[in-house]
Amino acid sequence: MATARTPDITLYTAQTPNGIKISIALEELGIPYKVHKIEISKDVQKEPWFLEINPNGRIPAITDTFTDGQKIRLFESGSILEYLAEQYDTEYKISYPRGTREYYETRNWLYFMNAGVGPMQGQANHFNRYAPERIEYGVKRYTNETRRLYGVLNKQLSTSTSGFIVGDHISIVDIAHWGWIASAGWAGVDIDEFPHLKAWEERLAARPGVEKGRHVPDRHTIKETLKDKKLQEKISNEARTWVQRGMAEDAKK
Amino acid sequence: MAISSLKPVKIYIHGPSPNPWKVIIILEELGIPWESESVPETGLKTEPFISLNPNGRTPALIDPNNDGTTLWESGAIIDYLIDVYDKDHTLQYTSFPEKHITRCWEHFQMSGQGPYMGQKGFFMYFHPEKLPSAIERYDKETRRIIGVVDAHLSKQGTPYLVGDKVTYADLMFVPYFKLFLPVICPDLNTKEWPKFDAWQEKLVARSSVQTVLAKIQVEKEKKKLPGK
Repeated sequence: MATARTPDITLYTAQTPNGIKISIALEELGIPYKVHKIEISKDVQKEPWFLEINPNGRIPAITDTFTDGQKIRLFESGSILEYLAEQYDTEYKISYPRGTREYYETRNWLYFMNAGVGPMQGQANHFNRYAPERIEYGVKRYTNETRRLYGVLNKQLSTSTSGFIVGDHISIVDIAHWGWIASAGWAGVDIDEFPHLKAWEERLAARPGVEKGRHVPDRHTIKETLKDKKLQEKISNEARTWVQRGMAEDAKK
Repeated sequence: MAISSLKPVKIYIHGPSPNPWKVIIILEELGIPWESESVPETGLKTEPFISLNPNGRTPALIDPNNDGTTLWESGAIIDYLIDVYDKDHTLQYTSFPEKHITRCWEHFQMSGQGPYMGQKGFFMYFHPEKLPSAIERYDKETRRIIGVVDAHLSKQGTPYLVGDKVTYADLMFVPYFKLFLPVICPDLNTKEWPKFDAWQEKLVARSSVQTVLAKIQVEKEKKKLPGK
């Protein structure tokens, strides 16, 4: 039930496609929030205090206070987006009324993102950028799957009269996808192959809420990075070191 | 709508592939009549199925009791079933914050457990060449996910993910953990994670899960897939 109330949101986040889903949603809703930057390269997300908020040790996560004064801790970007829509989107700016066709369709595409595009594009990043050795097959498998998923989105958008993935306005589904699609090149996918998706990405980027939300907690620089080969290598090399270290430490537990 | 007067919902499966069976456990729990159709590999990306799910994956569901509403992505289908048919709140909380916490675990299943365990299976059985570093990557992630559940249950001291009540989120973890895990990690002993193990045992003992496990076994035998 949407209830007008005072938010007390702290967003625990880092500059990643999953993190900016939440800051963009909050900006689109126009509600205030505090930002707590998590240094994922230093494994802060695996520290005990953070595991109290998200037992899975991943960003993003939020805390909020409900009308009864109880604290709530939320994790998984999809679950957080649904919470924000349900609790604060009384005017249906980024969601649709419960029980409507668009409400259920939103869910289809939200899971498509979170169980499909996110994990697969993430694996493409891993094999393209962070793996300790070059495994050609791994690169191809996940880049191709990401391209296939982009094709599904491109087709959906080609028949959309509003220019958004579901219904007649922007929704949490568009917001959830944007950061991933904007960094297509990092996963080795050429966005020019998907003209409807490319136009959608640019349409969203032009929105003030997206512009503001994408620079949380740090500047969103992926598009500039993708134009600079040398910088890409430098970032990949740095990230590879801590990704490998983090995996080795996880394995010890 | 009274459950007893429902027409069977149509659920599209792909043999024993785990995701559709999450939905079927929920259908069984709620007593919703259902019928399944197994879509072969060649039928997933072509008509008529591609018009039901533009992503060409199972499950998809058609509900003849609700103007033929068509849904895809197991999580979205389960949200729908809970929303429309779980009127007595047997598998969900309506209270704050439990209702929202349940969704955290649902999304963790969808974006964490499913995709990563799926990759382990792929590199173990379907990829023609052995790639030890890829197998190791997804093996570690599978163990990490089990560890997350085990640590959470230990810390909370509750039998289920959210308090003392079983929810749809608990049940969604069953097909991958119960059926897929022994196949993709044959050497893994779940007794290493006692809380996790006890949680799985309790879920598996439910009659809905027993019914579904028996049906999956039939599908497995049809396909002669590895594992018991």
